[in-house]
Amino acid sequence: MTGQLSRTVIEPTNPRLNVSRNANLPHSPGIRVGEYIFLSGMGPVDPATGGRNLGPIADQIRQTLRNMEHMLASAGSGLDRIVKINIVLADIQHYDVRRELFLVDPPARTTCALQLSNGNGVEIECIALSL
Amino acid sequence: MREILPVPSPGLDLRHHYGHHQSPAIRAGGLIFCSGMVAVNPETGEREHGTLTSEARRIFENLKLLLESAGSSLDRLIQVHAMIYDRIEYDVLNRLYRQYVPSAPPARTVMSVQIEAGFKVMLDVIAAA
Amino acid sequence: MALQRDVIAPKDPAVDMSPNLNLPLSPAIRAGEFIFVSGMVAINATGERMHGTVATETRQILAAMAQVLESAGSSLAKAVKVNVLIYSMLEYNNMNEVYREFFPVDPPARTVCGAKLCGGSKVEIECVALA
Repeated sequence: MTGQLSRTVIEPTNPRLNVSRNANLPHSPGIRVGEYIFLSGMGPVDPATGGRNLGPIADQIRQTLRNMEHMLASAGSGLDRIVKINIVLADIQHYDVRRELFLVDPPARTTCALQLSNGNGVEIECIALSL
Repeated sequence: MREILPVPSPGLDLRHHYGHHQSPAIRAGGLIFCSGMVAVNPETGEREHGTLTSEARRIFENLKLLLESAGSSLDRLIQVHAMIYDRIEYDVLNRLYRQYVPSAPPARTVMSVQIEAGFKVMLDVIAAA
Repeated sequence: MALQRDVIAPKDPAVDMSPNLNLPLSPAIRAGEFIFVSGMVAINATGERMHGTVATETRQILAAMAQVLESAGSSLAKAVKVNVLIYSMLEYNNMNEVYREFFPVDPPARTVCGAKLCGGSKVEIECVALA
């Protein structure tokens, strides 16, 4: 029988990637509970400036995943520990672009298209295991 | 083990009132998975359409009732999918939202989707038990 | 000790969306007590995206999802949370009537919403189940 799991906030080591704090938004970048890590949806933020890095969708996706990698590393995890990833695209036509990623043992995934903010082409969230 | 949580108040069971084939909340593996919540009266189950703010407030109050009856609480929320009918209400959502999770808020993704019955907001949450 | 993360390969390859639709995802991942299932759309026996009515797509998806879970030693009865995306909420009842056949007793928690889906599919369903 599981006792009550502990719940802690995860923040990125690079403060420029802390959108929750920088944009004063009511979410934490991530939460660890037990052995699981839940990350808030992330977009193509530039880790050098903290501003948005909008460009071709493939670059936005790569940037977002690099940021996610940093976030998970800050929590003592990694991209290969992701169990479920949800990808939201602004334009469903961009669906084909994500193929180059997670080539080995990819996580479970769901992709759909919704309205996004700030001209972002993509938003990605995930559930991962801690190391 | 997977445990269906009884609702603290009859209006929260959308299966009973609307034939939504879903349990309101399930506890498993130390987590509580809740069905998407919309603004309904917790006693009667009646839909309470309003502004995004009034609907979100009702949802959070219902969620508080539900989680507390299961031995959890709003500050044990882990992940929220905040579904809104149009991204234009993003700031409105945030103003209300921060009142209910003022510190160490859960992870969140805001998704603008079509919600049932013309509601403006729905919260899909996972909490720690 | 770190939780293990296992890729689940369904016993029947016809229900495996990843090679059939050339998608970079695992059908499901087991992590600790949970199995995270990727969003599934209707595919036919030859592995192509099957376009039908909301009812036929829902039925095909849930039958395939049952197979994926059973390959992992789980089942639909052990699902704890299901997320259903439909291309239009007007079709909610069409989905719900088929859905209830697959979860006759004590259905899992669920969220249903309308979103743009990939490849012209009308329904996409993902879930979390107990291992």
